[in-house]
Amino acid sequence: MSRTSHWLIILLAIPAFVWLVPTLWMVSLSFQPNEVLARTTSSTAFGLVPLPFTLDNYAALFRFGQTPWWFLNSVIVSLGMTLGVLAVSTTAGYALARLDFPFKRSVTALCLIGLMVPEQAVFIPLYTMFADFGWHNSYHALILPRMAVPIGVFLMMQFFRGIPKDIEEAARLDGVGWLRIFWYIMLPLARPAMMTLAILTFLYAWNDYLWPLVSAQKREFFTITLGLASIQSNFAQSEGLGRVMASGVIASLPVVILFLIFQRYVVQAMTAGGSKG
Amino acid sequence: MRATRGRTLSQRQAALVLLAPFLLTYGAFLVYPFFRGIWISLHDWNLLAVAFNPDAKDFVGLRNYERVMWGRGIVWGLAAPFWQGLGLLGLAWAAVARRRLGKGTTLALGIASVLLIVLPGFHPGEGGRWYDRRFWPTVGNTIRFVAWTVPGVTLSALVLAAALNRESRAMGLLRTLFFLSQVLSVTVVTLIWQIMFSPRQGLIANVTEVLGASPITWLTNEQFAMAAIVIATIWWSLGIAMILFLAGLQDISRDIYEAAALDNARGVRAFRFVTLPNLKRTITLVVVLQIILHFQVFGQSHLMTQGGPNDTTQVLVRYIYQTGFRDSELGRASAMAVFLFVIMGAFSVIQFVLGREDAS
Repeated sequence: MSRTSHWLIILLAIPAFVWLVPTLWMVSLSFQPNEVLARTTSSTAFGLVPLPFTLDNYAALFRFGQTPWWFLNSVIVSLGMTLGVLAVSTTAGYALARLDFPFKRSVTALCLIGLMVPEQAVFIPLYTMFADFGWHNSYHALILPRMAVPIGVFLMMQFFRGIPKDIEEAARLDGVGWLRIFWYIMLPLARPAMMTLAILTFLYAWNDYLWPLVSAQKREFFTITLGLASIQSNFAQSEGLGRVMASGVIASLPVVILFLIFQRYVVQAMTAGGSKG
Repeated sequence: MRATRGRTLSQRQAALVLLAPFLLTYGAFLVYPFFRGIWISLHDWNLLAVAFNPDAKDFVGLRNYERVMWGRGIVWGLAAPFWQGLGLLGLAWAAVARRRLGKGTTLALGIASVLLIVLPGFHPGEGGRWYDRRFWPTVGNTIRFVAWTVPGVTLSALVLAAALNRESRAMGLLRTLFFLSQVLSVTVVTLIWQIMFSPRQGLIANVTEVLGASPITWLTNEQFAMAAIVIATIWWSLGIAMILFLAGLQDISRDIYEAAALDNARGVRAFRFVTLPNLKRTITLVVVLQIILHFQVFGQSHLMTQGGPNDTTQVLVRYIYQTGFRDSELGRASAMAVFLFVIMGAFSVIQFVLGREDAS
């Protein structure tokens, strides 16, 4: 490594640290006693070092309050949505990429046009629809609308188009049906693409705010993202800063862990999702 | 062999089976709601009244659009000389440099310029007023938010990507640090920054206090509220832009840099004369993408400033949300949502065309 690289790294470490400070501060505050925080938030090194240290905030989260329940809701909703999107996208993506059928071009075009419709343009009619069915305040109300995201179909379609055709043709000659080809040959090949899509969907589901805000009015159906919004407006008075920060840490933990383990996939997913949808 | 064939589905049947789940959810939760939204926007539709009595809605045609976007005694003239002048300049530029710019860019520039000349010209004449005094200022705030955030994100991401585009452990770690905030949810981001900006407890106030400056009431001061939201957003969404730039940089071949180095173009000069020209398409893509993304800003404004102080951070999606779910005026809210869709749609078409050119 050259000398300039060393200097560059040191030069870049400063903004990187500044970038990390807000997150670090949240984590640090969550480990400090509420009584201290009520007085000052900069006990040690501007509050970036959690001294005096306590685990009370986390203990309190699990004893009172609805944070664990909201967390569970988020897990259910995010996993449900991820499975749903995977099922819908792999099947449709394969059909659009490889099978021949009438109106194929129109269906593909319809899917592409759907990429243009932002969530904010359909959340009011969706709200009235779900209200008509009496579906609000339920898990399926939180999951179903997000399954109609065409980006997944688009990603899977692109992936399946890239797989060589001879694998399929050989299987066809042996008399294997299309559904079996899809299930036994194509799906196993598609694992990396499915992984990318799953992570993209999970992150999206976990962090979704607008739709849960209008659909879940009962606190027991809040997701953690929504629940966190509901306690942050009056954090100082009711729960104490430390506890709200602990909720924030808990709410971020799954996505941060997911990111640190599957960094390559997350980056891929965000690039794919970003540049196409 | 025949027997096996007989039991398997034909290609068409298989396609239908495989497509059915997608077509059903897509039709039910995207296509139908989209048209239903347009339908609602043509009605006087009170959320609560219709919930109790489905017939309590009146067809009013385009009245909602008029009530949102139009007013009494609206006239056209040079109401915004700066923007309209900018439009004229753009038009002149498009006319002069159309050869150099190419067909698509000239057309886009021309359309944008004409819109800049025409749209800001409408204003209430003497004794006139907008029917909805808050709508256009809200659109203005949204555009202001986008106008600060997009260049902020794009420039810092570009510089960082260029600096971090080296393969080593340390660089990988730095990339991870810059990208980390991107995966947080909007409510975590607003939670962190609300307290960061707090004049009494905030880290920023604590640091400036040591330096001897009096703390700024960021979120409740008309001068700083928008800046605060923009800062939080840049912190949040820098990662994705940086990653897209890094992907673009990887596509530039090393040979070009080596050739440039022979001409004594290194460091900043190489960035200026090699990196930037080769990254033009990626930059455009990132900018369009960011515009689409940030025009839909909601959480930051809703949670950090509640649209305030004095409506200075009220943004379009928050106004739609309030009109629909606080004031129960679903018809008017839907008209605004359609307006939002038209703008987003225009940028999506640009993005799509760029993506196409990219692929070919």
